[in-house]
Amino acid sequence: MNIGFIKDILPILLKGSVMTIELTVITLILGTMLGIFLALLKLSKNIVLKVLSSFYTWIFRGTPLLLQLFFFYYGLPFIGIELTPFTAAILGLGLNCGAYMAEIIRGGIQSINKGQFEAAKALGFSYVETMRKIILPQTWKIIIPPVGNEFISILKDTSLVSTIAMVELMRSAQQIYASSFDPISVFLTAAILYLIMTTVFTTVFGIFERRLAVYS
Amino acid sequence: MENAILNNGENLDRNEYMIKASNLTKSFNNLLVFEDLNVKVKKGEVLVVIGASGSGKSTLLRCLNHLEELDSGTIIIEGEKLNPKDKKMLRKITTKMGMVFQNFNLFPHMTAIQNVMEAPLVVKKEKKSEVLQRAKQLLSKVGLVDKMDYYPSKLSGGQQQRVAIARALAMNPDIMLFDEPTSALDPELVGEVLNVMKDLAKEGMTMVVVTHEMGFAREVADRVIFMDGGKIVEEGTPEEVFSHPKEDRTKEFLNKVLK
Repeated sequence: MNIGFIKDILPILLKGSVMTIELTVITLILGTMLGIFLALLKLSKNIVLKVLSSFYTWIFRGTPLLLQLFFFYYGLPFIGIELTPFTAAILGLGLNCGAYMAEIIRGGIQSINKGQFEAAKALGFSYVETMRKIILPQTWKIIIPPVGNEFISILKDTSLVSTIAMVELMRSAQQIYASSFDPISVFLTAAILYLIMTTVFTTVFGIFERRLAVYS
Repeated sequence: MENAILNNGENLDRNEYMIKASNLTKSFNNLLVFEDLNVKVKKGEVLVVIGASGSGKSTLLRCLNHLEELDSGTIIIEGEKLNPKDKKMLRKITTKMGMVFQNFNLFPHMTAIQNVMEAPLVVKKEKKSEVLQRAKQLLSKVGLVDKMDYYPSKLSGGQQQRVAIARALAMNPDIMLFDEPTSALDPELVGEVLNVMKDLAKEGMTMVVVTHEMGFAREVADRVIFMDGGKIVEEGTPEEVFSHPKEDRTKEFLNKVLK
């Protein structure tokens, strides 16, 4: 371990970390919106929409994320669609996260007492109003632990986009390692940075969980 | 509240029916719940439906505001026919009916007053200041204004059910439907809910009450229906049904529940 060396590489790794956070946050937002949409499709009475949603999760949960990223970045150019590493990364991570979030959200909605839907219906709420005001707010509370898990997975999974020329924390670490002869310092530093990020995430989720516990 | 009830019904003839349900048939997966039922409720009338579990009385109530879809039959609420295909109209008509459930079904993520305010704000898009004022009035009417900032989980069953009644009243319904409102309550909490319901009846609210509380039925009902096996076996004033039942099945049932 060489403290001076670590001081030299830290700015580069921190810059990589910023990109990692950026990728994670965008993925989570995309994934959550997509997840809500897919979950509602899956719970709809329309059989076509149900099948469509199931097919989606089947594909994206059933194949490796790495393969999906390669497909978007290296595959699509062959049919004339050129994506920047960033777009391909966001697309791959977001679509993948959506599939997992859909399953988590669907489970959450299904665990809400049927009486809540009935009370809302009897009071005249439309479907959208029922979901927005009554069902989803209660769903968040239930799904916070699995969503926290998913978010931490995503944060770590962003390291996979280092393989499609996206410069984030993992890629930065690899680049420094390749041009230096101190892999221990490089990877330990990167590991600590990942740990700091996941710890912050976990803490934030813990706060959410406690805050939402007021009504239980 | 009293004004609201009178105003909403002022263009109705006194004798006109608030609910007119004819030839109702309902089954769950080939299991017939009831067939060819007819129920009429006049303005200001308190109709109490009694009967054993599984007699179809709750399902009947749930069909009236379309929580359950009928197989066939027509329901006319204040002169307007329920059309299951016309969702918008369905919502409009069903909001004229307040519903109180056995398990309260309060929204657990909202405080008592938020529960009462939510539907007028979201569904009717009413002004917040007006709704707040009305919600406070309703909560004091059911004796819970001091608990308005409590979440349902911090309230007793009886208190929750009273909030649920206030929540239903907040939409200014013309008709109140009660689906075994005291069945999930500890015995010592039943009275406080029944008292609120009695007050409502006194104010002239049109009510349909499915209940096992025979004392309440006898005291408050204008008319009692006894259901058994998906049929209306006997119908009449409380005096007629409880003191001089004509049908054997009614006698048998009353013997069991009144012991």
